[in-house]
Amino acid sequence: MGPRAAGERVAGVTADLSYEFAFGTYEDALRMVGTRTEPRFAGTAVSGARIQHFASMVRDPNPAYWDREFAMSAWGGLVAPPALLVGLLMPPPWVPDGEPPIASIAVRVPLPGTAIINASNDAEYLMPVLEGDMLSVVEEVVSVSPEKKTRLGAGHFIETLETYHRGDGAVVAMCTNTLFRFTPAGDR
Amino acid sequence: MTWDEVVVSAPLPEVVDQISYERVVMNTGTTWDYVPWHYNPQYAKDHGHPTIFVNTMHLAGFVDRIATGFGGPYSRVVRRKVSLLGSIYAGDSMVARGHVVGKRVDTAADARRYLVDLEVSIFNQRDELCCPATVTIEITGESAGPSR
Repeated sequence: MGPRAAGERVAGVTADLSYEFAFGTYEDALRMVGTRTEPRFAGTAVSGARIQHFASMVRDPNPAYWDREFAMSAWGGLVAPPALLVGLLMPPPWVPDGEPPIASIAVRVPLPGTAIINASNDAEYLMPVLEGDMLSVVEEVVSVSPEKKTRLGAGHFIETLETYHRGDGAVVAMCTNTLFRFTPAGDR
Repeated sequence: MTWDEVVVSAPLPEVVDQISYERVVMNTGTTWDYVPWHYNPQYAKDHGHPTIFVNTMHLAGFVDRIATGFGGPYSRVVRRKVSLLGSIYAGDSMVARGHVVGKRVDTAADARRYLVDLEVSIFNQRDELCCPATVTIEITGESAGPSR
């Protein structure tokens, strides 16, 4: 895949998905450092179904996820697994109005790379997220590294800060994520 | 488990979890992370992977399961750092090993928080380190009841 003009967007994953990469140069990417998004809201409140589906997938028997009576007395309600928080703000892959889901700001940073993979994640959970909570997230581009060569290929590390809010405005979590945006070795 | 009972340097029980194709596809379904290398083996192969693999949320959830499994039902994860060094693929096993690295009382907030720091490392069945993590849990202090 050749170089593209800054801001030009193409399907970054498959034509069936609306999550899009922005393409540009490292200098274009640096201009995005400090950019903060408007709040992005979950379409629905946190549900017991999603809590228990995730806990089932991880096979976590924590009663905070399964035992409504216990969870109510200990935490005030069924608790959302902290690790699911990012997923609770993921847009569904199709919506009826035809508007494409808004991708994470990390993949909207214009860079040459055609692939992504997560490198690290540092999350602080200030209070439990409970069934029924309405969540939103604000994302910020913290830094973009110069080009690094790895076994996967050459690319840039994009550090973002996500701040998660509950419907009453309380900050429930802050998460620093580092994503590697690269061109796979052999594709250059 | 209460904070008083926690012994620094104590090992955590090793946990082995078999990751089937069903679990990886379930991972996509539960987290709404539809990047194709989490559910499409051919796409994963086209991008240099042997097959589909679990995402960061699954790995973090496994780390949390180990942490709160140690701390008990009144504990909760307050901080977790993970590094992704390698992937866990369908057909692999996730093997978690860890130990207690410290315990402390946080008095910065209005209420005292009893904290325990853990190191949890996830290996695959070939003993390759895929995901080192550090986790802090808030745990019941000297008295019974939740730590919040």
